[in-house]
Amino acid sequence: MIDPMFIPWLLAGIPLLGALLGFAVWSQPKKLKTWSVTVTLVSLLAVIASLFKLTGSTEGLLFVVLLPLAASVSLLGQPAHREYRLSWVVTLVFLGMGLGILTIPAPIGPIALTLLLGISTFLLYWHHNPFWGPSWLGIGTYGLGTLCAGIAAMTDSAIPSLLACVILLPLVPFHHGYVAALTRLPGSLPPFTVLLLPAIGLHRMATVLPKIPNVVISVVFILALSGALYGAIKALAQSRVRLLLAYGSLSFFSVLWWFVAGARTVKPQAAEFLGSVALVTGGLLLAWQVIRTRYGDDVDSRAITGLAAPMPQFAVLFSLLAVAAMGLPPFGVFAGLMGLLLTSSLTLSVAPLIVAIAWLAASWYILDLVQRLLFGRKRPDLRYEDVHQSEFASLVLVVAIVFALGLAPTNLFVGAPPSTGTKATMESVSWNR
Amino acid sequence: MLAVILVPLLPLLAALIVLMGAEASRQQRAKIAAYPIGAAFLGAIVTLWYVATHGPLTVRFYDPASPATLAFPIGFYVDRLSAVMMVLISGVGTIIYTYSIGYMYQDPHDRRYLTLIGFTTSVLLCMVSSANLMMLFLFWQVLSFMLYLLAHNHAHAATLDGAFRTFTLLRVGDIAFLSGVVLAYQLYGTFEFQALFAKAAEMPVTLSPWPGFDISGPTAVTLLLFIGGMSKSAQFPLHVWLPRSLYAPTPVHALLHAGIINAGGFLINRLAPLFGLSSTTLHVAFVVGTVTAILGATMMLTQNDIKKTLGFSTIGQMGYMIMECGLGAFSLAIFHLIAHGLFKATVFLNCGNIIHKARQDPESPQTDPREEEKGFSPLTWSTGFVTTLLIPLLILLATHGVLQIPLLESQGAVIFLFFIWITSSQAILTLTRLRAIASWKVSSAMLLTLLFIVFVYLFAVESFTAFLYPNPDEVAAYFQAADLPNWLFDSMVVMATILTVVSWGYLYMRAHGHGRKMWIPDWVERLRFRLYVVFMNRLYMDELYQALGRRVLRVVHKIDKRDARWTE
Repeated sequence: MIDPMFIPWLLAGIPLLGALLGFAVWSQPKKLKTWSVTVTLVSLLAVIASLFKLTGSTEGLLFVVLLPLAASVSLLGQPAHREYRLSWVVTLVFLGMGLGILTIPAPIGPIALTLLLGISTFLLYWHHNPFWGPSWLGIGTYGLGTLCAGIAAMTDSAIPSLLACVILLPLVPFHHGYVAALTRLPGSLPPFTVLLLPAIGLHRMATVLPKIPNVVISVVFILALSGALYGAIKALAQSRVRLLLAYGSLSFFSVLWWFVAGARTVKPQAAEFLGSVALVTGGLLLAWQVIRTRYGDDVDSRAITGLAAPMPQFAVLFSLLAVAAMGLPPFGVFAGLMGLLLTSSLTLSVAPLIVAIAWLAASWYILDLVQRLLFGRKRPDLRYEDVHQSEFASLVLVVAIVFALGLAPTNLFVGAPPSTGTKATMESVSWNR
Repeated sequence: MLAVILVPLLPLLAALIVLMGAEASRQQRAKIAAYPIGAAFLGAIVTLWYVATHGPLTVRFYDPASPATLAFPIGFYVDRLSAVMMVLISGVGTIIYTYSIGYMYQDPHDRRYLTLIGFTTSVLLCMVSSANLMMLFLFWQVLSFMLYLLAHNHAHAATLDGAFRTFTLLRVGDIAFLSGVVLAYQLYGTFEFQALFAKAAEMPVTLSPWPGFDISGPTAVTLLLFIGGMSKSAQFPLHVWLPRSLYAPTPVHALLHAGIINAGGFLINRLAPLFGLSSTTLHVAFVVGTVTAILGATMMLTQNDIKKTLGFSTIGQMGYMIMECGLGAFSLAIFHLIAHGLFKATVFLNCGNIIHKARQDPESPQTDPREEEKGFSPLTWSTGFVTTLLIPLLILLATHGVLQIPLLESQGAVIFLFFIWITSSQAILTLTRLRAIASWKVSSAMLLTLLFIVFVYLFAVESFTAFLYPNPDEVAAYFQAADLPNWLFDSMVVMATILTVVSWGYLYMRAHGHGRKMWIPDWVERLRFRLYVVFMNRLYMDELYQALGRRVLRVVHKIDKRDARWTE
């Protein structure tokens, strides 16, 4: 029997060790990919085996389960190409750090967070585009995040912690790092970081929120509503798929900020909503990766049409992900949103209307993307090739997870009750969320 | 009676039979799949018999009292209303599916299409048998997406555009519905229908969204839910999706017009006790329904395409149905939607043949070669007069005395009767194309048919109302809740009477002259032409929505450009 104290260390250690051992097969991309996927699956098994021994935080243990799953689907969906090797190893490193931040208590968790943001900043710099302004803004934002996380780790003060949170779980105007990470990072990193960083942000927020002054909460409240609208507007204007997905998810994350700031607590429903939005966005990024693998990294989505008939498997999976992304039932995004709506005390005002507009806009820009890619005339000059086995597996897994999130009871991942301070959140779990 | 869940599951099984399997057995599987759908229809009939004799059925896969269960509370509540709807949907679904096997034969998309028909039928059946508001909303939304899938064709740009707009407009309604669901839960803390109705009746809640404006809880909830119903039932101004979805295969329209579009009427009936608590919502429904009925019918008259004509006819009929709900005649709306659903499904399934025949034979449809009366005929004139003015009065008094329906005490019933009169007069006069054939036989047949139809209709409606709502006090309470102020009601009746009689006279005189010359001011004629063009172009609503969409996108791109300039 392992001492429960060491379980978090074990969970963090498996992927980190896996990353280290991965260098042994560095020269063989296929083997490295298989190894990385195996490590994430072992990590998942370890998480499941130790789930009931972990202390539940206010948002539950959902992220601890979702992180290895997201890592494995992100790795599965990649082509076995030399150029992606570093991203696979970094995915394992990020997984280890993420599990560590979520399960190991202070001061290790905050220090690991500083390190994680530091590595992300470095990666953004490494892959930055000097001709694209937001790239620099992204580096700057993550740099600021690293600084704030470092200060918070040393002093435990509320405002730097909150700043780190708004950079991790993007809130306008601190969203550039998130947008740059989703659009600039290579290989398996964007579909994984889309869950990893916001999940850590929400996890940190649970401890930070009670310390934040009311004035600051009001500012967050306003920024969240502006962000929901801003993200939706930006997503509507995009023709580039990764930017569209980045801004679309930003809009949904802002909605989450609005709920969390209003309730001043992080409920399991918030974790479900965040997990679903992030997974769906990651799934759509993986689906877009399928297209990029076939038609090049700089492919214009407007030039690719009529995929429904020649790529039926891709079309079905992409449509299901789109349905989930639009917030339709029975997927997790809808279940999470309903959970948040039903457990919050709302008033008839402009704020719920803005949330509704953000939700409606998602139907517009996501459906537009689906129509653009899947329907219309088939191009005779294009060679169509349906999804490969590993791509199929990764997309099916994402759909299945998001579907399961939509149906599973909220309290499934609540975990063992913590020793102090989190009783109130359990009371809000109701049968209908 | 867990077996009741087989009714929605059997069409789903049919969809899976069509979807899964080898290409070689595609046709065979398509035919085999008709049996589960037919079995669902038989199951629905058995369910109707069971609930009519034993009372409502409830099957829950969750415990409402439990603090944590499945995310979506899945359960089935089948009462007489649900059972009637299930029979209608599964019956029409069976006919449409069977018809579609032949209609879509050798079509490259037949597998997808037949699967969607099976799946949509299943979703509709789940929706009408939902045990709670949450499940109803869940299937309500899935239906929006099913409609999008059914209405689009991969390779046809106009169809895709129409399907996109259809889905966007339906989502607007879904958002209002979502708001209503959330508000209902916030105010009453439950999704269970019976508990919701009881709490809404017990707890008078008043909301103040902004200073100086108060609204009662039931009114706020039902108004939001009603907007959701407006979008599905194509009520003005959310009706534009219906004509735009007409590119879809003809059997889709049969299903759409017989099943999906009735969702609004069903919603109001399912939540009748809640709607009955809000006179304001019922009045809004009355106004929206009346406007939709008038505009839909007028636009129908000016269309030159058979499918569009039928589409706008449906909009008019749905307006009529919602108007009935607004009058408190909830059961009547269900009666109407069943009758309309069967009628419209038949017409849609036939219209493909008619188009085909018209293409083969340019003379089709044949005109009646009989000679018409050139001069003024007292017989035809008096027939029209009796039809439009005397018979309604006779019916009013007879139904009050003979059938013991308290029509004189109920505004809603009087308005309903009023519309029976207008519709039947219009139907008879339109069917005979205002021909001045001076024949006692024709006149007597017309009058007797009219009398017979109206009495049978009233009797059937009364029996149906007693079947759906066995408690007469409940029915009376809905009528009472829908009562308009007396002065408004009286002036509406007087105005409508004058308008109808003058219009009938005008149409009669104008049809062939009939030996009378009618002077009409020039400006009226000019206005008539202008209005004709406006209605032929469907009030330019499509263009208006397109302009709105373009405007929104222009603003969006402007904001995006400014933001990009700032970040560069």
